[in-house]
Amino acid sequence: MVVIGAGQVGSRIVEHLHTDHSVTVVDADADRMRTLTADFDVLTVIGDGASRRTLLEAGVAAADLTITCTQRDEVNIVAALFAKRLSGGLTAVRVSNTEYLEVWRGGDLDFDLMVSPPLETANAVTQLTGVPAARQTDMFADGRVQMVEFDIPADHARDSVVGVPLKEAGLPHDCKVASIIRPDGVIIPRGDDVILPGDRIVVIGSPESARSWSSLVEGRPTIDSVVIIGGGRIGATVAAQLAKNGVNVRVIESRHARAQHVAETLPDVRVLHGDGTNPDFLRRENIGHSDAVVCALPSDAENLMAAALAHTLEVALTIGIVTRASSARLFEQAGVDVALNPRTVTAEEIIRFTRDPRTLAVAFLEDDRAEVLEIEVRPTSPLIDVPFRELPITDSIIGAIIRNGAVIFPHGDDRLAGGDRVVLFTKTLRVESVEEAL
Amino acid sequence: MTVSVRHRRPVRVRRRRRVVDVLGTIGLVGSILRWVSLTLLAPAAVAVYYGESVRPYLISLAIAFAAGYLLERLTPSADEVGIREGFLLVTVAWLAAAAMGALPYLLSANPQLHHPVDAYFESMSGFTTTGASVLTDIEALPKSLLFWRSLTQWLGGMGIVVLAMAILPRLSVGGQQLMDVESPGPEAEKLTPRIAETARRLWILYVALSIAEVTALCAVGYGGLAHGMNLFEATTHTFGTMSTGGFSSRARSVEEFGAEAQWIITAFMLIASLNFALMFRSLRRPALLPRDEETRFFLLLVIVASTIVALEIGSYGRYDVGDAIRHAAFQVASIVSTTGFASTDFALWTPLPLLILIVLMFAGGCSGSTAGAIKAMRVLLLNKVLRRELVLTVHPQAVVPIRLNGRVVNDRTLRAIVGFVLIYVVAFVIGTVLILIDASRGTHPVGAFEAISAAATTLGNVGPGVGFLGPMGSFDPFSTPSKLVMIALMWIGRLEVIPVMIVLSRTYWRP
Repeated sequence: MVVIGAGQVGSRIVEHLHTDHSVTVVDADADRMRTLTADFDVLTVIGDGASRRTLLEAGVAAADLTITCTQRDEVNIVAALFAKRLSGGLTAVRVSNTEYLEVWRGGDLDFDLMVSPPLETANAVTQLTGVPAARQTDMFADGRVQMVEFDIPADHARDSVVGVPLKEAGLPHDCKVASIIRPDGVIIPRGDDVILPGDRIVVIGSPESARSWSSLVEGRPTIDSVVIIGGGRIGATVAAQLAKNGVNVRVIESRHARAQHVAETLPDVRVLHGDGTNPDFLRRENIGHSDAVVCALPSDAENLMAAALAHTLEVALTIGIVTRASSARLFEQAGVDVALNPRTVTAEEIIRFTRDPRTLAVAFLEDDRAEVLEIEVRPTSPLIDVPFRELPITDSIIGAIIRNGAVIFPHGDDRLAGGDRVVLFTKTLRVESVEEAL
Repeated sequence: MTVSVRHRRPVRVRRRRRVVDVLGTIGLVGSILRWVSLTLLAPAAVAVYYGESVRPYLISLAIAFAAGYLLERLTPSADEVGIREGFLLVTVAWLAAAAMGALPYLLSANPQLHHPVDAYFESMSGFTTTGASVLTDIEALPKSLLFWRSLTQWLGGMGIVVLAMAILPRLSVGGQQLMDVESPGPEAEKLTPRIAETARRLWILYVALSIAEVTALCAVGYGGLAHGMNLFEATTHTFGTMSTGGFSSRARSVEEFGAEAQWIITAFMLIASLNFALMFRSLRRPALLPRDEETRFFLLLVIVASTIVALEIGSYGRYDVGDAIRHAAFQVASIVSTTGFASTDFALWTPLPLLILIVLMFAGGCSGSTAGAIKAMRVLLLNKVLRRELVLTVHPQAVVPIRLNGRVVNDRTLRAIVGFVLIYVVAFVIGTVLILIDASRGTHPVGAFEAISAAATTLGNVGPGVGFLGPMGSFDPFSTPSKLVMIALMWIGRLEVIPVMIVLSRTYWRP
């Protein structure tokens, strides 16, 4: 296994993997490598990650998995291209620019995993703000598919959803009830099944539908307005994703040109040009009336200040984006509700991938009795081209299909195709047979 | 420190080149004139067919052709058409074309247009697709002259410089600017990398739509559904419709033709006020047109205005429901497209629908259409600018880009649009005041409402106004100075104000 780039992401990956795998690390910074070898049992190669010679020296040709996670997108892509060519093994690539991610989703870049820190951060923020009523939630397919687990309150009145057979229920669009969990077992619901008060349900759908479910189930107000302080790459990505899910988003950015750019690229977002650490400005713009504040300024110190200010203005939920791993605890001590480190989130995503390459993402439910997987369909799968209504009834259900970069929430007439990726709910006992069948 | 210059070369003061290549530009106007004068062969042919005198057209042709030829020969050829030359070329070309168009009126046997200002007014009204007429007895004119009157509109509709560009390769260099100056709307769209090819395609679409309308009108005419409609009437009215001009060869405009023909004309007036470049592109991708923000805004405007007018005139008791809808839709389409046809004498309506029509005179069709006035796109963007001001009052530090069809419109364009609307309104006010001042000295009484409508209708290239200058009336009662003011307004309006202002500004003539 070769890891190119020994920054925060690389180090964290190495930390997790060095005991079970033989890891070679490539980085141009000799000092960094020295600390790395002091802590972990790894081989290091000092050199440019985008150089073919360095890569050969690091043994990329024989690697089962190459992870490229330097700071620079282009270096990562070039290195991964070499690695794919030299070894034919798996490649996981870190990119910041989400445009590359779209290219990859469209099938024009032949890598096995592409992870983007801004996007992973946006997913994490969406999870935090999207469904306050949820017991558990997880994101799939770059944040376009969300799994949510809800408890229906025992005193919930019968309405258009609860107490009505599913096929007649007024469910939100673009979602599927994947499971009804009762003390006596896990039900994969069909049209005749009924959600009852006191049930626990698992829904797979678009983040927007997850929000609708949230207000449907709890009747509790969702987080409808979010202020993002700092319109950099992370701030803008978070803003874009929240706005897409129907949240009212305001972005505060102090550099005028950048503010202009964000305003031009995100039509549904209100962009304010001002200093996010200026209390008067924040008060004048009524930041206190928003439901959540995300602080995404470039420096941790400024971020902490902005987050503390938001806290004093009595914002219900403050989220701080931290760049240094050590800052996270300080943020939480200062009263910031959540400190998110994009690099940690990214590293965790890559580590998850190394455990089972074909399964791109997985969420465990009910003490691991059930799970939601994102998995690729082999071109040889026997389930290909069978209409959904005729698929065998097993203890699993497909909630969403990702085909050529587009998400489909399937109905009875849809069929699977080779190369699709599916988000599916299954009982853990059946995972292996599901993986076999697909 | 001093620098000693031992072998100093004498500085030769070369004769400075002029900032604007006036002579070269006039030469180009000459070539345009020479080519455009050939269109006089068309009314000559009509005259032969109807057994009328061909003399006025052949003499006019000879004069215009010779003048064009002489201008071309007597001036040095222009090196290139720069931005500055472009403005001069277009503004002068329109004056020259109108002068050429006036010749047949002067030479005609019918004396109605024998006063030079009257002839120039009628010709300018034609080329600028205004459709305001000083004639008092339209049907007394020979058929060939009526044909020429309508043809000038058709030529002016798509633009004589664009026409020339499609033919003359010399104009292609720097042609983008020429098209920008002449075509209605904030900026001309290139359909192809070559501007001449773009000009040609726009003309092809224009011709194709015109043929479609002639065919449709002939079909109802010879089908016995439209009283008096024949090939001649179909052609002249198509010229008036597609160019959004509005000259009719009938005294009562299109009133007598009946419902079917009027609905056809309504449809084509609206088509003519859509963006031609967009229409051309939507031939391949039909979804473009209904998705276009300007088109939707324009059609919404038409529907809302028609509904209000229909409700109001329906309450007169004079029209039944079908007639009220038809007359409302026809008049709204006619005014908003700046055509100026009338299916009924709307000058007799109550103030509310009249006021709506006068407001619509300012709106105009879509950019890149043959319609005049401010244009839907500018109205739409101005509305967005004003809404942004409201947002900025509440959030002084908000950054709010303005979008059109999802794309950001840059601030320079927005400033130009706000400036345009302002200058347009100023031109309208000055025009109104001048007409009123002149009217107070004249013999024929001109009311304020009439003066306002006269300025708005000529500046917007619409045609009829209210009162005595209504659709069945005439501009003849105005005094000669008032007519000159209106000629200027038509000219300014057709060129969208700015080019004329630029040519008349001092900075234009300085380096």
